[in-house]
Amino acid sequence: MADSGFDPIIGALNTSLNLRLANQNVISGNIANADTPGYKAKKVEFESALRDALGIGDQLPVARTNPKHINHGSSDAVEPAIFEDPNGVESLDGNTVDRAAEMSRMAENQILYDAATEMLKKKLGMLKYAITEGGGNH
Amino acid sequence: MDFFSSMRVSASGLDAQNKRMNTISSNIANSETTRGVGGGPYRRKDPVLAAQTDRESFGEILQNAIDENIQGVQVVEIAEDERAPKMVYNPHHPDANGEGYVAMPNVNPVEEMANMISAQRSYEANVTAMGAAKQMAQKALEIGR
Repeated sequence: MADSGFDPIIGALNTSLNLRLANQNVISGNIANADTPGYKAKKVEFESALRDALGIGDQLPVARTNPKHINHGSSDAVEPAIFEDPNGVESLDGNTVDRAAEMSRMAENQILYDAATEMLKKKLGMLKYAITEGGGNH
Repeated sequence: MDFFSSMRVSASGLDAQNKRMNTISSNIANSETTRGVGGGPYRRKDPVLAAQTDRESFGEILQNAIDENIQGVQVVEIAEDERAPKMVYNPHHPDANGEGYVAMPNVNPVEEMANMISAQRSYEANVTAMGAAKQMAQKALEIGR
């Protein structure tokens, strides 16, 4: 939705929310498996996925020689890369989950998710303000 | 990938820790049991946890073929501890052998207590994770309000 016709920031926030949700899912999985022998902690590659979604990644954009071409790089289907944390320290049972780190990452993720929803609310509020010609009773 | 998959994963964690807590309770309750099921003293039980991909419906199985990375947890087996029973000298015990020794369960209460604390903390961590997902979902519902 990077080209939703509205403010591009709205698309960016949308992508950010999706990535934060993916991150939350991965962190939940790590916490649930904190006692599973041999389980390896997983991480979401957040920044580069967001960068790619916004079309400012290091990969070259697909050329559009005709306006009817599909706009590649739209953030509708952002699939963040999920990888095993290479810095994880194995405990005796081969598990690499660091509970404290997971909890702090989850708290951070949640706060930033909330921040993105707040910004999205403000952006939509401004849009609404413009639509109702500055008036409206909302 | 949605809020509910995060919650299901946390729920699987709660379930696994709950089962772990149950086996710990059973071990502590039976720490003096000389007549276990199947004869002999009670043997310490230990749940075996394994990662499991979150699967509810066909659509999710399809989705999970794409991302196998969000994994819940499940108890696949309750294993018996293979350590030898403790031999305690008590010739008046009805289960004493010819030399007056009684085979007592291989349960170490200190170990069980430590495991209990670990299970409790893991349970709390899963509750917190589920709460976080819930709060995020509620925040998302506020967009545009």
